Amino acid sequence: MSIDTTEFRPLRLSGSQPFTQQPGIFIMIGERTNVAGSPKFAKLIKEGKYEEAVGVARQQVENGANVIDICMDEGMIDGVAAMSRFLQLLASEPEVAKVPFMVDSSKWEVIVAGLKCMQGKGIVNSISLKEGEEKFRKNAATVLRYGAAVVVMAFDERGQAATYEDKIRICERAYRILVNEVGFAPEDIIFDPNILTVATGMEEHNNYAVDFINATRWIKQNLPHAKVSGGVSNISFSFRGNNKVREAMHAAFLYHAIAAGMDMGIVNAGMLEVYEEIEPELKELVEDVLLNRRPDATERLVEFGEQLKASSTAEGTTTEKKTEEWRNGSVEDRLAHALVKGIDTYIAVDTEEARAKLGRPLLVIEGPLMAGMGIVGDLFGAGKMFLPQVVKSARVMKKAVAYLTPFMEAEKEAMAAAGIEVKTQGKIVLATVKGDVHDIGKNIVGVVLACNNYEVIDMGVMVPAEKILERAKAENADIVGLSGLITPSLDEMVHVAREMERQNFRIPLLIGGATTSRAHTAIKIAPHYSEPVVHVLDASRAVPVTTSLLSEESRQSFIDQHRAEYEGVRKAHAAPKLKAVPIDEARARRTPIEWRAEDISKPSFTGVRVLDNFPLETLREFIDWSPFFHAWGLKGIYPRILDDEKQGAQARQIFTEGNALLDKIIEGKLITARAVYGFWPANAVGDDVELYTDETRSTALDRFHFLRQQVNREGKEPCRCLSDFVAPKETELQDHVGAFAVTSGIGLRELCDRFRAEHDDYSAIMAEALADRLAEAFAECLHKRVRAEWGYGCEENLTNEELIQEEYRGIRPAPGYPASPDHTEKGTIWKLLDVQAKTGIMITESYAMWPGSSISGIYFGHPESRYFSVGKIDRDQTQDYSQRKGWTLSEVERWLGPNLNYDPEG
Amino acid sequence: MSNPQHPLQKILENRIAIIDGAMGTTIRTYGMKEADIRGERFKNATKDLLNNGDLFSLTQPKMIGDIHRRFLEAGADIIETNTFGATSIAQSEFFVDDPREHGGRKDPEFYQKIIDDASLSALAWEINEQSARQCREWADRVGNDTGRQRFVAGAIGPLTVSLSNSPDADDPGFRVVTFDQVKKAYSEEVRALIAGGVDLLLVETIFDSLNAKAALVAIQEVFEEDGKKLPIMISAAVGRGGETMISAQTVEAFWNAVKHVKPLSVGLNCSLGPDLMYPFLEELSSKADVAISAYPNAGLPNPLSPTGFDLEPADMGRYLGDFAKGGLINIAGGCCGNTPEHIAAIAKALAHQEPRRLEHHQEPEAVGARG
Repeated sequence: MSIDTTEFRPLRLSGSQPFTQQPGIFIMIGERTNVAGSPKFAKLIKEGKYEEAVGVARQQVENGANVIDICMDEGMIDGVAAMSRFLQLLASEPEVAKVPFMVDSSKWEVIVAGLKCMQGKGIVNSISLKEGEEKFRKNAATVLRYGAAVVVMAFDERGQAATYEDKIRICERAYRILVNEVGFAPEDIIFDPNILTVATGMEEHNNYAVDFINATRWIKQNLPHAKVSGGVSNISFSFRGNNKVREAMHAAFLYHAIAAGMDMGIVNAGMLEVYEEIEPELKELVEDVLLNRRPDATERLVEFGEQLKASSTAEGTTTEKKTEEWRNGSVEDRLAHALVKGIDTYIAVDTEEARAKLGRPLLVIEGPLMAGMGIVGDLFGAGKMFLPQVVKSARVMKKAVAYLTPFMEAEKEAMAAAGIEVKTQGKIVLATVKGDVHDIGKNIVGVVLACNNYEVIDMGVMVPAEKILERAKAENADIVGLSGLITPSLDEMVHVAREMERQNFRIPLLIGGATTSRAHTAIKIAPHYSEPVVHVLDASRAVPVTTSLLSEESRQSFIDQHRAEYEGVRKAHAAPKLKAVPIDEARARRTPIEWRAEDISKPSFTGVRVLDNFPLETLREFIDWSPFFHAWGLKGIYPRILDDEKQGAQARQIFTEGNALLDKIIEGKLITARAVYGFWPANAVGDDVELYTDETRSTALDRFHFLRQQVNREGKEPCRCLSDFVAPKETELQDHVGAFAVTSGIGLRELCDRFRAEHDDYSAIMAEALADRLAEAFAECLHKRVRAEWGYGCEENLTNEELIQEEYRGIRPAPGYPASPDHTEKGTIWKLLDVQAKTGIMITESYAMWPGSSISGIYFGHPESRYFSVGKIDRDQTQDYSQRKGWTLSEVERWLGPNLNYDPEG
Repeated sequence: MSNPQHPLQKILENRIAIIDGAMGTTIRTYGMKEADIRGERFKNATKDLLNNGDLFSLTQPKMIGDIHRRFLEAGADIIETNTFGATSIAQSEFFVDDPREHGGRKDPEFYQKIIDDASLSALAWEINEQSARQCREWADRVGNDTGRQRFVAGAIGPLTVSLSNSPDADDPGFRVVTFDQVKKAYSEEVRALIAGGVDLLLVETIFDSLNAKAALVAIQEVFEEDGKKLPIMISAAVGRGGETMISAQTVEAFWNAVKHVKPLSVGLNCSLGPDLMYPFLEELSSKADVAISAYPNAGLPNPLSPTGFDLEPADMGRYLGDFAKGGLINIAGGCCGNTPEHIAAIAKALAHQEPRRLEHHQEPEAVGARG
């Protein structure tokens, strides 16, 4: 007889993750969540300490169990209730829920209760022929209906099979019924041919291990694809209290049973010696017993066991070998780990350590705990964590916060006693909007927020706007959160936002749910309500958003950043294939300007002027500092950012160091600022602006070519073009335009090279950031001078802040930016001003400027001139533009690719 | 010992069968108002009903019939009944006071009242049966006109409650509803669909695998009790990480958990657009030994597009054409955002594509011990 090796059909199971048996690899089934196998677990269940009991399951998985066996068979335990509750808790424990469960009971109703709690494919342990074929068939059919694999005990109407002959007889009979009559897949049948205790002192027990091993071999050879399992610890029951012997017996028994084909076993994954590492003497004695090799085997092993026990009572066993390495990290790392993994075992200890370290409870929340939740959010966003895990993390967060709460209360009381006003915890009204019944996602958000100590008022589903707002008012809520899954809910959310505006609400509105999106929120909802309307992508984002919105310190910078971001979204969404106004019609809808001589100023000179070695100390006064901080990754508005709770210290430091370096640069004249600018007589001709050599306007000097808005023009909105701001030729008005190029980058590279040579990258980056600011300042400063020289800016008396807000007449759009997206127009500026010769600024083949800290642009002086974005243009305009520029259509399409409202290939 | 081959099985081996598009988002294009869904019958309902789309089968059968007709004419081999939420549990959201409004909570006790509520059961039955009849009528009419057999799939949706998740922050072991309650609600739906004449049962948009398991157990019990069997189709909704949206189960784990019902097909629908769905479909296709179905959303929700979703008919045709080129599918169609025009484009794109190869798996023969 030979082993049928034609095909290996693995046992396939699943929790939230699949499990596939690998040939030759023993499947370990954790036994510590078995009330019969673990007194500790039994005690926890009896005392109702389910949370700690869940910890036992987690430890099993961490110790390498592939499947965990769950058994509640104990007189004092209500098996059905305990099995259901425990499995439902495990379902919420992602690290455990990933493995398949083995529902273990001798009571059929407990097994059925277990089957109703498993989303995956588990194992039923067990059924048998004990009560006859009919019952066996019926129970097997139920197991199959629920989609589980099944353990079949070698037990029949006559009792438990102890001998080899009985074992194989019963297993064969069961196999035929299951495969032929019930329709069970043979690889889903797992036989347990009974591992019975040896070394009991009774001679008839001496061959039990051998009988099991032989029966296993027979089953694997004769019942195709069936598996063999068993409860391993039974074998060594006689040696209770002597773990060393027991571990050796388990290891040796498994070694031989696996060789015979045993596929899996219920074992304490933490209590297993490695076969090779069993002491030779012990190994021999153990194998004598297991393999029934000599009549006095039992006595010899008992004797050896006694000696061992006497000599090493203090010695530990291999139990729970696995040390928890993550405990060695810093307290911040440990908190992050606990949050990401959802482990609450040490959360109080670690939170206390962080509190002691940071001084104030709030700093622990806003520091390491929020940082940990941030990681959770990022992992979730990247699809590397899943909802149940996030909820689990939130629960750990809640425990940490709960630990800190008494400290915060004490702090509050102390503050109140000192007369400082105390702000209460935030209150959030959540609702699924009218017409929508979906609320599972919203419930999760509610759980996560509640776990973070916000008061959550969940109004349920299908809640009309007026009810939501009535409640928000009555409760004096800090935030309203709306959820919806179906498309019509989007309109209802717009309605709620409008109502909030009409009723003068002053609190933020959060938007969430499957069909909602950042784009929809930014474009369709936010414009209807003056307060922040924030899209919350998922439950993990709810806490950071809420915390930011309710924190006095970070609220403003969050809102500023949020508004800027949504403005960006709105702009970007003026994107694909929009309805375009034909170019002829767009031209007819040009910026409405009534051309009057008094609106046209005459510059004090025409031609080109150069400013070399422009004083840097003058430029310093024109610096707009906010982008400087952005360059360093700090988000906020200068000067407020210097006082920001979180970033303030960092902001103050780089501000001080930046200014120190700027002092040095100015003092040592380490970089040079240079500019060139000029004015020319000019008139608009169509969408071009024609420049003339002199005031007779008889000879054209050059031409600027501009593009006109064509899309997203609703109603009567004008279709703007920069040429609209210059008097058309036919008006015969004597108009002018100007152009400029400035740089503060001369000498910058040398300076940075010097810093880098000294390994001072920080100062090199700082110098670049400062040079950028100086270039912007130069453009602003020069524009001011130009407005004066153009004769209309003399009356201005603006502060630097007003300059930054561009509250003056005239504009200086740059080629390559929204109002004039064609970079190649820089070429015309370079020609007109002879920029390269006069300043040293070069343009590359892609029309970028070098050195980097340079700016160029065109000046328009009409009072109606303003910045705008050309946006997308249609094919009719690109055709027209290519003729004006004297280029081929494909050249134009290449340069204006991002602005095309059509697919040039199509 | 095996059943005679189902005619749809034969089709699946020879070409890619087409399943219809979305009912909900297509209904929206008809501009129906609250008064239209209420009709005379529900005019006094206290809650808004407009988004209880299944009710249209009772109050606007002409529109529903029109949608079925359009999908069939677009080339659908399989059309779905308008019964996504036609269980007493889902209907209760529209007809029963939410206890949370009065400081109560939804729990098994609340849902037991729903399950025991004869009027809700009767309503759910009526929707399912009527909807199945409407589908049957159109499938047969267009089938006869075109000389091509069409099939009616009884749509069994995911419910508004979860068996895997607790809404209570303080008790992760809490469930609002029990397995048996969910199973009961599904059993009623299954019986009514069969009574209305469906050819197939389609458990779809599975967010929560345990809910799906309750549906599958219900189906098998009904089959056994009533002595009639229909092919089962199964389709899960996975998120960006490839897990069922609520219970976070990966597609292979999911397949292991449902394989035992020997479905006609298993697949993915809803939640993702075709591009994001591809890798998970590929995984499922490599693991499962039955027909594979895919009916993704028309991209992601895009409120700025007329259908509310990103992708146009031609886009869907192209993407599903890619599925077919990858040898991944036997059944294709669309979920949210797919109109009859989308389905027509998909049908056209797949008309000459080879279906995924179906291995003929031998039913295990009667075995005895080889000794």
